[in-house]
Amino acid sequence: MKKKGLNLFRRVLLLALAIPFALLTGCKDDGNSLTLFTWDEMFPQEILEGFEKETGIRINYVNFDADEVMLTKLENSNGADYDLVIADDYIIDTVISKGLAQKLNKQKLPNYGNINPVYLKPFYDPTDEYTVPYGAGVQTIVYDPAKVNIKISGYGDLFDPSLANRVAIIANYRVINGMALKILGQSYNTEDLSAIRSAGNKLLSLAPNIRLIKDDHLEDELISGEVSAAVMYTSEVTAAMTTSIEKNLGFEMVFPKEGIGFGPMAGFIPSKAPNPDAAHAFLNYILDPERGALCFEHLGYYSTYAASDPYIDPELKPLLTLPAGFIENMENIKPIGEEADQEHLRIWTAFKAAAGKSDN
Amino acid sequence: MKKFYIALILTLMYVPILLVIIYSFNNSRISSLWDGFTLRWYRDLFRDRSMFIALGNSLILGILSSLSAAVIGTLGAVGLYTKSGLIRKRHPVGKLIEFLAVLPIMIPEIILGMVSLAFFSLLGLPLGMSTLVIAHTVFCVPYVYLVVKGRLVGMDKSFTEAAKDLGAGEWRAFFDITLPLILPAVVSGVLLSFAMSFDDVIVSSFVTGPNTNTLPIKIYSQIKTGVTPKTNALCTLLFAATIVLCLLSAYLARPRRKGKTEKKSPGNQKEIFHEKKRA
Repeated sequence: MKKKGLNLFRRVLLLALAIPFALLTGCKDDGNSLTLFTWDEMFPQEILEGFEKETGIRINYVNFDADEVMLTKLENSNGADYDLVIADDYIIDTVISKGLAQKLNKQKLPNYGNINPVYLKPFYDPTDEYTVPYGAGVQTIVYDPAKVNIKISGYGDLFDPSLANRVAIIANYRVINGMALKILGQSYNTEDLSAIRSAGNKLLSLAPNIRLIKDDHLEDELISGEVSAAVMYTSEVTAAMTTSIEKNLGFEMVFPKEGIGFGPMAGFIPSKAPNPDAAHAFLNYILDPERGALCFEHLGYYSTYAASDPYIDPELKPLLTLPAGFIENMENIKPIGEEADQEHLRIWTAFKAAAGKSDN
Repeated sequence: MKKFYIALILTLMYVPILLVIIYSFNNSRISSLWDGFTLRWYRDLFRDRSMFIALGNSLILGILSSLSAAVIGTLGAVGLYTKSGLIRKRHPVGKLIEFLAVLPIMIPEIILGMVSLAFFSLLGLPLGMSTLVIAHTVFCVPYVYLVVKGRLVGMDKSFTEAAKDLGAGEWRAFFDITLPLILPAVVSGVLLSFAMSFDDVIVSSFVTGPNTNTLPIKIYSQIKTGVTPKTNALCTLLFAATIVLCLLSAYLARPRRKGKTEKKSPGNQKEIFHEKKRA
């Protein structure tokens, strides 16, 4: 009995010491893999499997939860380790300015022309050298006409007194403050402090209508009837509208007449990516019209490839593609100067206090 | 009143978990609608290769860091609390060492993650399983230390003294007497550490590398695209696994004989008697 205990202990000790070294020296790249660094569930399973089967390149799909974590990782490895990153627009701006991304080789991207021109020459990559857009968040309003007496066609209608305590919004200050800026005819990205301040005053009159400020699963509140109208993230809009179509709930989705804010996600190749060829191959693979359509249907964000639009399921098409003629009314929500950002935060705090709700 | 209070607390604690389990069988993507029973989320889950790679990484990480923590934590507790230890000798440095050893439990995880990353990049250590194991061991050690310490404090010193009287050296007395007596505490410390390591997302997200996605990071990164019921299915499986681990831990750490005042000692004698007979 006693002897056995001794052996067990020694064995455990040896194991604890030996395995980290084994792992440290093991796990080496075999040269033909693609380390894809992005959020989870960004691609349908069949696309990932299809790419592996067609090219023989193994996908190593690793995740980050926040853009800032991704930036930290790239800074730490100095642009190595990862082959392809898909992240939000504002962080790519920082990534490129820090020299952590490499220029794309367009010859390896024959499908590059499929990109919708609306999403070309973005602020973070004005010469289209580094990035391929992949899905965009587009700001809309969803409401339940059965529970609302007015016809909602823009942000201004959310201020209507008949909607008292019936509106839910996300806790994203640039998007919500931006609604007031848009009503006042300003840009989402204005750095004029007095314009931001008057937007803050305007926003205060929305406070009595706010029932909820929260980020996750806002679509549930609309579906359960807790609220009648909502300004949500695009993935939530898609979830709400798909359910509405399935269950005949009759929800309406509105492109606000004052102007539409949007924010694309995009893929880029880190400066010292171990396998840039695989990254190009994958980008080109998803840029294919039919495959792109599959991706956006799965992703629930707006299609950034014009060539994919015709292949998107007709039921989902109004949710995932832009209607014609909206182009000039759209504005990318960009990072702004420190001072303007502080002013935004100030009016946002005042608004939240007035709404008497906390965002969780 | 007391019953009501207990019911209220238990409801608050377990109803959310129960909902996740129920919704993992919900046919609708949207959690506010019940649309019939389905196992399709479990099917989707098992199709997802990256999910199982992440699960495997998390398991390896949990096992390695809890075992490393077991060795370090046990050594620490034994070193401080046996007869010649600094705390038994009421040396002031003993308490200081104990405080430093337990501190990682109290440091906010985000800070632990940040400083670990800064430290590893200073050392030039490539991020991956090794850095994950080191960082996780750091916050797992206190759990093992505290559990083992509790056991050592209640242990009768005369057992080891008797062994030494009979000619056993320090090592022999430790492996033959002390270790078997504290083993249940070590094991329950390991299980606790494993659960802590398996859950962790904050420290991991700082120190993970390009080949070591862990399960909590993967789940957490679904916030972008909206959490699917596939995650509910996974949470259900994880919850079941956690319950099994906790029950096992509680079973191993249950109070047993307390020493010489217990009536069990004749049993011990009988054992010794049997061994003699065999010899």
